[in-house]
Amino acid sequence: MVRYLRMFRAFAATEFQFEMEYRGNFYLSIFEMFLVIGTSIGAVLIMFGHTTTMNGWTLPEMIVLLGVYYLIQGGVNLVFSPSFERLMEHVRVGTLDFHLLKPVNVQFLVSTRHLRVVRAADLLLGLVVVIVGLLQVGAQIGVAQSLLFALSLFFGVMLVYSLLLGLVTLSFWFVRVENLLAIFWAFTEAGRFPVDVYPLWLRVSLSTIVPIGIAVTAPANAIAGRMDAVGVALLGAGTVLAVGIASALWRRGLRSYTGASA
Amino acid sequence: MYALTPMDAPVVDVRALRKVYRVTERETGLAATFRSFVRRRYREVLAVDGITFHIDPGEVVGFLGPNGAGKTTTLKMLSGLLHPTSGEATVLGHVPWRREGDFLRGMTLLMGNRSQLVWDIPAADSFLVLKEIYAVPAAQYKRTLDELTELLDLGPLLHKLVRGLSLGERMKVEFAAGLLHSPGVAFLDEPTLGLDISMQGRIRRFVAEYNQRSGATILLTSHYMDDVVALCRRVIVIHHGVLLYDGALADLAERMAPYKRISVTLRGSVGDLSTFGEVVSSNENLATIHVPRAQAAERTARLVRELGDQLADISVEDPPIEEVIDKVFASERPLAETTA
Repeated sequence: MVRYLRMFRAFAATEFQFEMEYRGNFYLSIFEMFLVIGTSIGAVLIMFGHTTTMNGWTLPEMIVLLGVYYLIQGGVNLVFSPSFERLMEHVRVGTLDFHLLKPVNVQFLVSTRHLRVVRAADLLLGLVVVIVGLLQVGAQIGVAQSLLFALSLFFGVMLVYSLLLGLVTLSFWFVRVENLLAIFWAFTEAGRFPVDVYPLWLRVSLSTIVPIGIAVTAPANAIAGRMDAVGVALLGAGTVLAVGIASALWRRGLRSYTGASA
Repeated sequence: MYALTPMDAPVVDVRALRKVYRVTERETGLAATFRSFVRRRYREVLAVDGITFHIDPGEVVGFLGPNGAGKTTTLKMLSGLLHPTSGEATVLGHVPWRREGDFLRGMTLLMGNRSQLVWDIPAADSFLVLKEIYAVPAAQYKRTLDELTELLDLGPLLHKLVRGLSLGERMKVEFAAGLLHSPGVAFLDEPTLGLDISMQGRIRRFVAEYNQRSGATILLTSHYMDDVVALCRRVIVIHHGVLLYDGALADLAERMAPYKRISVTLRGSVGDLSTFGEVVSSNENLATIHVPRAQAAERTARLVRELGDQLADISVEDPPIEEVIDKVFASERPLAETTA
């Protein structure tokens, strides 16, 4: 475990140095993030100019949800997306071989090897938005509630991770899966609103095929005191199952991989 | 480091190793592309057909064969990237494709046409990542890096972006990356591919010196016979997945080319020499004749006797190693394929 943490630290350190080389890009990304979050909040505000609740979600709660969305997206984009982008490239040109020769868990290596450090800013901004929302809600947040929130947030990130891993694993068989990922990201956009504002048919596909809806809505519910420990435990069980299935698929994909020049 | 193998046991032990690939097959044209998209047709290709050999500790062995002979497939099986269809192999006492930690820490695979370094960062940063991946202790890491830096003259290259290095410089850095964990076995697949003559020589000297210093066992494939001649006393030749020769490089010509090459220089122009042997080239006053190995001495004597004063110079040699290898590779054997 310590060894894996040390490795992760080395990954992060090299990527951080790399990004520092391009400081202009760094500031631009942060500016972009402000813009994106600003417009999403604006959209929510306009919507709530016409109504006070949406399926039982009040404006401050919606802002919390938006913050959670950016927290999860930030977490995924910080580590997993850049690593998976490289993974697909490795599969295409055959350099995945080098990862397979390393005396470490290959799934760990391909999932965390590359970071996009700028995305840490998304985490920070997401957190600010959550706090602003919570201040508006005005509810008392206890230790238990914060703990449930943190847990469900972690499960949410891992849920999205397992989906991504599953999709990326398909590149072992189809080599090019970028289009699939584009569809995936389009779906995740829908996660900006609580899963229960969507009609049932869409909710079903959002929560089963792309459980981003659950991943985002659950933590927001937890912090708003609308989800108890049992709910979070269920979410945890579901996440473990999802990660298990994705890992099994990954191992299968690895077996069928023979290298591009084979 | 690889205490699991007794001193005298072979480092690489391969028995009846065989690999059959299933490849997708497709005709050209849009319609065919569409058909294959819907339903793929597969064909089985026999890449390695039951080869057996073993390599002792510290040996440098040349692994020769034309493109598609099964060299890379064999190296991939020996480094644990591919499961064989049948047969057995151990490297450092481990079955490679079980990918055990001790095995992976004890070996390296370097490929001339693939890079394991991240191109957007300096090599030194990638090295630090490798240090953590292989859990190399700090003191040992520094020692190894210093030694590699000295042997390969890496000093000015380590802190440049890999993207900005020349092909030769990049290969040097790749070598260092692959050897940072001090592996006991190194599989080198075309390590001098595309390099200019002087850089080829540089890499060759490095491999030889590294082998001497570290005692690492090296299995090397290359299309450049110069690599093999400079580094390997022993060669293994495979063709169409079958082992054709395993032995001393010096004996390869004797076994594979049953002839010697007599070169004569005449004072006048060359007449008809076909009574002495097979004339492979002749122009103006130079001629090259191939004669059966056993009769080389007798034919030479006859040439000297019959040409007399006309003869300015004569030499008897083994054919050049490239020519021998060419002959071997040109030998046709039906492609071992079955349609599934």
